[in-house]
Amino acid sequence: MFHYEKKLQFPVKITTPNPKLAAFIISQYGGPDGELGASMRYLSQRYSMPFAEAKGLLTDIGTEELGHMEMVAAIVHQLTRDLSDEEVRANPTFAPYFVDHTTGVYPTAASGFPWTAASIQSTGDVIADLTEDLAAEQKARLTYDNILRLSDDPDVNNVIRFLREREIVHFQRFGECIRLCKEKMDAPNIYLSNPAFDKTQPANTRSRG
Amino acid sequence: MLIEGNGSRPVSGTLNGTANGTMNGTNNGSQTTQASCPDANGTLPCCAGLAVPYVPFQQNNPQKYSQSEALSNGTLFPGLNLPFRLAVDGSTLPSTPLAELQALEFVVLELNLYLDTHKDDTEAFRLFQQFSAMEKAARAAYEAKYGPITQQTAATGDSYQWLSDPWPWNYGQNEVN
Repeated sequence: MFHYEKKLQFPVKITTPNPKLAAFIISQYGGPDGELGASMRYLSQRYSMPFAEAKGLLTDIGTEELGHMEMVAAIVHQLTRDLSDEEVRANPTFAPYFVDHTTGVYPTAASGFPWTAASIQSTGDVIADLTEDLAAEQKARLTYDNILRLSDDPDVNNVIRFLREREIVHFQRFGECIRLCKEKMDAPNIYLSNPAFDKTQPANTRSRG
Repeated sequence: MLIEGNGSRPVSGTLNGTANGTMNGTNNGSQTTQASCPDANGTLPCCAGLAVPYVPFQQNNPQKYSQSEALSNGTLFPGLNLPFRLAVDGSTLPSTPLAELQALEFVVLELNLYLDTHKDDTEAFRLFQQFSAMEKAARAAYEAKYGPITQQTAATGDSYQWLSDPWPWNYGQNEVN
């Protein structure tokens, strides 16, 4: 189960509202490589993991991603606070979002595509899932790189830098986790069976020097 | 400033430049006790099975930042701090009681993830215990002064304070000091 803590993981304090920035930062809330997808991906994949390290790591990183989702939402919320009609009209990049959601926080990509589970996977296979997770962390990292290219707001960049570095740490941990899982699988051929599904290991007839 | 003491080894002690000096020939990624690589490097098996991804394993007992530097840089570990070219400096943090609590909690979280893949690093486990206790005490002090951040604490007050402003996503959350 989960309990809520009434605080953020990292301070979010955006002095100057800026709906234009909000219109593309929303992508890390509900976009293809955003924090909602990250948490759903990891918290779904953990059930089929046969090894304790993978169960633990997917639970712990998946939970941290829920906190990141809240941070990105807080950025968007603060960037769009106290707007006037004129400010919305003056921002053609934010206006389409405004028409559908006013200043509500909605999980969508910057390109306007609503969040979809089609952007994540849960394959029930240890190596396939953890390899997807390595890629997922890299895609989120580069999205934050691109946000840093586009944003000149120091209050926003403070938070984005933090979130970006978390992707690098998670990548490292998932990589280590693959190594730990691999050690528990059939040494000559780790693809001989799927330990998440095949309850008994078939005899490995292949020998390797 | 790096976290020292508590059994931590000197920061400069691991730089001998021989990245493959003590590879033991197995592909046992958790055997990372021979810290022969620089802190920002990890170990790889020398004869690794094909067709599977490898990420260098972070060595046991890596260098660590102090808690405020850890939160500012987004990682407890200098060896993993790889900023984007447009951002060479860590983030600036408000000097608020909340940020101090967030820094302690962040160290606990980083050690938690580290221990998930390095469960035999006894030094990291000791730090994990130590920082968890510090975080617990700091949280109790914070809640006594500024109101509950968990339902559990909300039940210990004289009246129902859970609904009190500010909520975490409000700009005003940061005005408390």
